[in-house]
Amino acid sequence: MAQIVVRYFASARAASGVAEEQCEGDTVDDVLAELSTRHGARLTAILEASSLLLNGMRVHDRSMPVPSSAELEVLPPFAGG
Amino acid sequence: MTERPLVETAILLDEESMTGFLAATVPRQAGAVVSFNGIVRDQDHGREVTELEYVAHPTAASVLRETVDRVLATHDAVLTARVAHRTGRLVVGEHAFFVEVAAAHRGQAFAACGELVEDVKRLLPVWKRQVFTDGREEWVNSP
Repeated sequence: MAQIVVRYFASARAASGVAEEQCEGDTVDDVLAELSTRHGARLTAILEASSLLLNGMRVHDRSMPVPSSAELEVLPPFAGG
Repeated sequence: MTERPLVETAILLDEESMTGFLAATVPRQAGAVVSFNGIVRDQDHGREVTELEYVAHPTAASVLRETVDRVLATHDAVLTARVAHRTGRLVVGEHAFFVEVAAAHRGQAFAACGELVEDVKRLLPVWKRQVFTDGREEWVNSP
């Protein structure tokens, strides 16, 4: 199982209460499930709506495996302009 | 061969920087200058806003530049495009978002300005936090 760093932005940071934290999992889905268990319904809804970056690259398929020491960023829906 | 357009994009930290950016002039070949100004209002859906903040992802400056370059690739009569977005705390009346396009003729200036406004709004990794008079905090567009 890969040990990774999760970095939260905006409403995700508000819902988790932290800017970043460690997590582990074999796939992105695994990691998200663990984060949901840790932080509850509000973060779960935000994770569902967010775009994700894994080592800077956009995640299109959440069943993808997570490499060790990866960085997963949670970007909620944008609201600029 | 068409000259490459002059492109200036910026993520700015205060109102003074924004007003300075807005005031810059455009080249003389530009007959048509079209701009959009996104200005902070005192209410959102009828609720009074007491505090407003934009927060940007670290990639926001480069995403802004890439987005503008991509739009201009399909608007080859554009001479200049200048786009700025604020981050940090803003108050009512301040400038949050600015797009200006200069072209020889108005058709492409209007079209490019409109497309830049829509694409930046859709793609820029920036978030907006509002606080209302009852103390409730909201992150716009988020569950």
